[in-house]
Amino acid sequence: MKKMMKYWNKPSRSAYLFLAPSVILLILFSVVPLIIAFGLSLFDVSITMDSARFIGMENFVEAFRDSRFINSLKVTAIFTGLEVPLQVLGALVVAALITKNNIKNKFFRAVYFLPVICSATAIGIMWKMILHSNIGFVTAALQSMGLGKINFLNTPGLTIFVVSFISIWRSFGISAIIYVTAIQQVSASLYEAAEMDGAGKIRQFWHITAPSIRPTFWYILMTRFAGALQIFDIIYITTNGGPNYTTESTVTYIYSRAFSSRSSMGYASAMSVILFAIIMVVTVIMYRKMNQED
Amino acid sequence: MNKMSKWKRMAALGISTMMIVSTAACGSGSGGNSKSEKTDAKNQSKGTTISFWNSFTGSDGDMLVELVNRYNKENEDGITVEMDISSDFDSQLSTAFAAGTGPTMILSSSAYRFTYGDYMQDISDVFDKTDLDKDDFIQSYLDYCSEGDKLYFVPFQVVGYYMYWNKDLFEAAGLDPEAPPTTWEEWQTYAEKITDESKNVYGSGISYDYPYQIAHMMQRLGGLSVTDDNGSWKANFAGNKGYADFLTMYKTLTENGDNPLEADTDSMVSAGQIGMTVGGPWVTAGLDTAGVNYGIGLIPQGDAGDMNSVEVLGFSVTTTASDEEKEAAYKFIEWWNSENEEGSSPALEWSVANGFPAYTYSVQEKDEYKQSEKLSVMSSANPDAPTDFIVDSSFPGINDILNDVIPEMINSVAFGNMSVNDALEKAQTTADKIVGEYNK
Repeated sequence: MKKMMKYWNKPSRSAYLFLAPSVILLILFSVVPLIIAFGLSLFDVSITMDSARFIGMENFVEAFRDSRFINSLKVTAIFTGLEVPLQVLGALVVAALITKNNIKNKFFRAVYFLPVICSATAIGIMWKMILHSNIGFVTAALQSMGLGKINFLNTPGLTIFVVSFISIWRSFGISAIIYVTAIQQVSASLYEAAEMDGAGKIRQFWHITAPSIRPTFWYILMTRFAGALQIFDIIYITTNGGPNYTTESTVTYIYSRAFSSRSSMGYASAMSVILFAIIMVVTVIMYRKMNQED
Repeated sequence: MNKMSKWKRMAALGISTMMIVSTAACGSGSGGNSKSEKTDAKNQSKGTTISFWNSFTGSDGDMLVELVNRYNKENEDGITVEMDISSDFDSQLSTAFAAGTGPTMILSSSAYRFTYGDYMQDISDVFDKTDLDKDDFIQSYLDYCSEGDKLYFVPFQVVGYYMYWNKDLFEAAGLDPEAPPTTWEEWQTYAEKITDESKNVYGSGISYDYPYQIAHMMQRLGGLSVTDDNGSWKANFAGNKGYADFLTMYKTLTENGDNPLEADTDSMVSAGQIGMTVGGPWVTAGLDTAGVNYGIGLIPQGDAGDMNSVEVLGFSVTTTASDEEKEAAYKFIEWWNSENEEGSSPALEWSVANGFPAYTYSVQEKDEYKQSEKLSVMSSANPDAPTDFIVDSSFPGINDILNDVIPEMINSVAFGNMSVNDALEKAQTTADKIVGEYNK
């Protein structure tokens, strides 16, 4: 026992012990399912995983011929294109306004963070009711202002913007808080020096704050990108991919193929692998870009 | 010496194996009359705990919890039913089965036999091993739960779709509130009269996002979408005049502003903004809570003839259940359908409280049941009318038709600027692919 204690007591070794729980969880819940998904994508296999038939790359070929899958990729790209820049930049602006540790700012930070801790289901249902074409509060208010009857959740071309807005509203609080923490770490002496040189608040922001929090910016950008490409919950609750599949994201479609109809686990896995490849490529490109800048 | 002990060990192992095999053989031995089987069942299931999974997450789930708790308290066999209600029932079930585990008993649509049939036990002996009377169950519903001679479900709930109309809106439009439409032509005429744009009131409430609602209406006009064609499945979308009539009606109603272009029409029905709609028995809960003055009737029949399309939900015992657990599950199912001293039963309570039509003649005969206007209407469908829902009841791909073909078809017409005939052709192509897979 003593020998064992002595062996693990060395900092270089005890570090492994501290890492072990995370590594085990990561292997169990990320690496193993990932490998299984790769394997399943080569099989024609149902939801109950019985009677699997090896079909090689057939699922992948079918995916690229499937108009709904191609459409879901387009929808996901549009959603990501709307959600990520607005969230990353919007949260940065908001964070810049609530950085100081006073009561007002603390209150706003709590308010912005509130949707983050709410369940996506509750948020989805709430917005669904608020924006309902007939009995929704926002719809009725806009109509009473003479802006006509806007069918937010049932108009192809408009609904994807609405869903993106809900998603941003729901999660920009976390990005803002991360930005606030990063901004607070910037040395106050830099701002004092800039002020003495006559730099205004906006110049201070662009020339001191923005360069200082660049790693945080990249972190938020990369995580939001990966998150947006995997969007599911808000869409599933508010529109379920409608109207006419104009909000059907890739993960929503994968879910429907795996669990709602046909129960094709192999095909759903193949689509997941394609999505994984896309996310990986995007992340690697961003990572390289970040390293280049550094 | 070593050699000797090795032989001894081998002999001991052999004897042990033989003993285990012979004991198992005794256990699985059949024979004896049904009475002794019943006694065995009682003895076997004593003190057994069974797991029971379902997806009743709504308000009816609260009642289910109450009834299961009552059973756990009252049953004299010491059986404990551990219920797990999950909104993610499907993925929970598939994951469990894939892992070789699962619950003793599930409560689901009888269509689950097409997906999980390999994990469900034949429970046709439930009528031999319990006091349940097979003749008391309406045969067409039992047929819905069977494949050939095998029974996979004991009915729990019959879900039909009905027409609901708002009597106040009928009156305001100058229509007789006691005379709902009996034809689809009347539906359209009444919808036009009821619609009042200034009040956001729509005459008709058909949602493009409710495939079950659409399917119930469609099949009354154009019959079943997949039928048995001399031993192989055949899809019937392209050239189906009834389906074309339905799509044309939907398109006309929405274009004229008599039907909202809305996914969630149930909320509007509860808010008293819809004149007529079609929905399941749960629609009444929203209407009752909101205090809407409404009527309930059978869906107008169309050219396809008299139909009583329903979905049957039932209790099923999975292959993971041991003999003891299976018997315990039978006991619970028996209790659910048995009358107490006051002449009531959980099945009757469930039917009256939640507004689902009964699946046994004995419940239909009860005064409490007869007194309910809703239940009387629900039970008034022609008993000889086919109960198949949108596809031949033996076609395993019903979910594919409901989740893939019908939504694509209605969306194409509602939003895709596709002509009705083109939408039906597209639906035929998708359905042919699905049907082709099952014909393999």
